[in-house]
Amino acid sequence: MIFFDYLIDSIPFFIRAAAITVELTAAALVLGMVIGLCFAMMKISGRRGLKYAADTYITVIRGTPLIVQLFAIYFGLATLVDFGSFWSAAIALAIHNGAYIAEIFRGGIESIDRGQMEAARSLGMNYSLAMRRIILPQAFRRIVPPLGNQFIIGLKDSSLAAFVTLGELFGVSMRLASTHYAELSFYTIAGLYYLALVIMFTVLVNWLEKRLRIES
Amino acid sequence: MIKKKALLFILGVFLVLAAAGCGSADKNGDPEKKTFTYAMSGQYKPFNFFNEKNELTGFDVEIGKALADKMGMEAKPIATPWQGLISGLKAEKYNAILGSMTITPERQKEVDFSDPYYISGPNVFVRGDSAIKGIQDIKKGTPVGVLISSVYDQEARKYTDSVKNYTSDVTALQDLDKGRVDAVITDRFVGKIAAGEQKLNLNSVGDLIFVENIGIAFRKGDPLRDQVNKALKEIKEDGTYLAISKKYFDTDISK
Repeated sequence: MIFFDYLIDSIPFFIRAAAITVELTAAALVLGMVIGLCFAMMKISGRRGLKYAADTYITVIRGTPLIVQLFAIYFGLATLVDFGSFWSAAIALAIHNGAYIAEIFRGGIESIDRGQMEAARSLGMNYSLAMRRIILPQAFRRIVPPLGNQFIIGLKDSSLAAFVTLGELFGVSMRLASTHYAELSFYTIAGLYYLALVIMFTVLVNWLEKRLRIES
Repeated sequence: MIKKKALLFILGVFLVLAAAGCGSADKNGDPEKKTFTYAMSGQYKPFNFFNEKNELTGFDVEIGKALADKMGMEAKPIATPWQGLISGLKAEKYNAILGSMTITPERQKEVDFSDPYYISGPNVFVRGDSAIKGIQDIKKGTPVGVLISSVYDQEARKYTDSVKNYTSDVTALQDLDKGRVDAVITDRFVGKIAAGEQKLNLNSVGDLIFVENIGIAFRKGDPLRDQVNKALKEIKEDGTYLAISKKYFDTDISK
């Protein structure tokens, strides 16, 4: 059947593209977590200036589409600074997902009983030590499901990098679809690859959740 | 607490907006006249592009209007992404593709082409200071920018494995200027005009890579193809074609 011919013959192209998608998503999410943790801490810090800055960042970034941010970085900033297609996409994805991750972290941190911080302080820990050793580890366990969710969203968002010339999964499928005049086949195949990646990732997240549960 | 009346009002506004959006096909022009809808990417100055008034215009658009006039039809040019043109034609979203599409054997399996309505060819474009003097200087790792799913993309892949696909040739040329790619393969006129207008330091190097016959694409077996061929011959004979060609290129590009 012709669909299976396309599926098998395109494996080398799609595997290479899938590797790029995974690399891009990984880079974006690592950066995104740093950004997210940063802004979450700023927001809960109690210092008005930091909270304002964090709120502005989160509002603006969540309020504008990823594709607009991506194009602004890749095309818009090009005369000032050029990150290339991979890093432009990684940065845009990191900034974008970072805003959502900030809220996820904040939710996790604020859900930890106030008593924990009080106990830590009464033991002589300063704020930063208490955060690092007591609060954040507990918060992290709670945010694994919503964080995993956001990671999946990030993986699918990476498809927009095709529009800044990156040869990832969606970009390759666009090209093959029109070369072979077989849009339905190739977009379905691309969908299957994304699905496979998301399922693999979900298994990983579930494993992580289980592992963290045993420790408590 | 939203009052019921306010909620109903808001819903009503949404419904009216939705209905307005679903308005039927344009009612302007003579209802008796058939429309000749032709599609292009709109990203290919001077052949098809959007002017400052955001109107779709260019050589392709004007040829289409001239042909429609000859056939007694209403011309309706539309823009749609390049990589979806042929599937849109097959899906009967428009009558023809009149967007500088090269006649190739692969495409001829999918569509019926008219006689060529102009002849052109691609050049390699590089930055002013480039060491590349022609297509033979493009090596395996040279980053080359090309339009996605075009004959230029196929050509580039013969020489390099570092091909960057763009949805618009003009964007590729801008990236060439910024150093993101070392060469762009695109139509000789498109590159020259884009570089000139945006004052980019780009040149074409080497000879024309190959000659392209550019045709108008129709669904297989569509009798409109023969009607258009007839109209094309007529506009060439009566000077309409030459006038449009000279307007954009100062020369007759049908040869």
